[in-house]
Amino acid sequence: MHRLGKAVSILAVLALPLTNVAARAAAATSAVKKSVWKRVSGPQAQADRWGFVQVSLVVKKTTVGSKVTRKITGITIPVYPDHTGRSLFISENALPILMNEALKAQMHPQNVQLISGASFTSQAFEQSLQAAVLKAKKV
Amino acid sequence: MSCTRVEHVMGMPIVVDVRDVQGHDGHVDALFAWLRVVDATFSTYREDSDISLLNRGELARDDLEPEVRVVLDRCERLRLETGGYFDASAAEPGRVDPSGLVKGWSIERGARILDGFGLSNYAINAAGDIVVRGGALPDRRWRVGIRHPLLPDAVSAVLELTDLAVATSGAYERGDHVLDPFTRRPPSGVLSVTVVGPDLGQADAYATAAFAMGRKGAHWTARLPSGYEAMTVLEDRTVLSTPGFESLADAA
Repeated sequence: MHRLGKAVSILAVLALPLTNVAARAAAATSAVKKSVWKRVSGPQAQADRWGFVQVSLVVKKTTVGSKVTRKITGITIPVYPDHTGRSLFISENALPILMNEALKAQMHPQNVQLISGASFTSQAFEQSLQAAVLKAKKV
Repeated sequence: MSCTRVEHVMGMPIVVDVRDVQGHDGHVDALFAWLRVVDATFSTYREDSDISLLNRGELARDDLEPEVRVVLDRCERLRLETGGYFDASAAEPGRVDPSGLVKGWSIERGARILDGFGLSNYAINAAGDIVVRGGALPDRRWRVGIRHPLLPDAVSAVLELTDLAVATSGAYERGDHVLDPFTRRPPSGVLSVTVVGPDLGQADAYATAAFAMGRKGAHWTARLPSGYEAMTVLEDRTVLSTPGFESLADAA
């Protein structure tokens, strides 16, 4: 496997245990919780003869009492090899990464000015959250 | 004074919310006048629209208004870009229905009308597809909820955006029927796809195409052009987001 593929596999392995540690820590304690986000970037690494690749991560660092947990919440690839047809092929097959989460539901969103959703018709509009948002502004 | 208005054009409610202090009804009037021209030109529900005339063979392609040609050419480029999943000719062979692009395209053009009046803090919500400029003054950004695909009164994410467009495609509202153009059946395994990016026409077409692809659409969104980010909700309630989408949500 070329180096680029390896870098992506390492990332995939890296993300998993970090997520689990964070979940365990959150369940274990109710002490004061503090979270900070940091972006960290790796160096521009040569991916064999295909060009350079650089990976940047957003890490959420949560401190609960003396326990520190870190969770990767974002991955971007600011530099990736794309200068030949062959390396473009590799990039398209190796690099796309999707973050995976469970669906969340926030029942009473605060301070939301707009709602995006599948096209609602004029009829459905009356029952929609958008209508509620407009009404709320007049209260 | 800043102003908010809802009008029903192109068969849907369109909300305009101008926060600039110099914004007034005349500005909003101009936007809706443009949208009514778009409806008269592109609607497949009007017998006398350019698109209806074209589909009945009463207007030759060469005689179309330049703007109609621009939209049809862009539909064709989007068909190629999405591997055929965004297809303005899918509904009926030999007939064209560019509605999937017209909404986003016309709202973007409408935003440019407001820009021309010197407005820089406003939002336009066309039945769930959104353009935001600047912020919801005094806030510097707009907070946009993404509707939960199973619970009408909930949101599944809140984004903080400025100068961006958001489009969501899903099967949970009546009147919105996205079909897989290859099987001619509703896609399976996916509840909704949201795309954020610089242009609403593109974002809307990408969301429609990714939704039509079903489960595999999420992986297609990982390769959207630079500046476009996506969130896909699968039937098993898994959410797959591109890394940049996550960072828009993190800011909220």
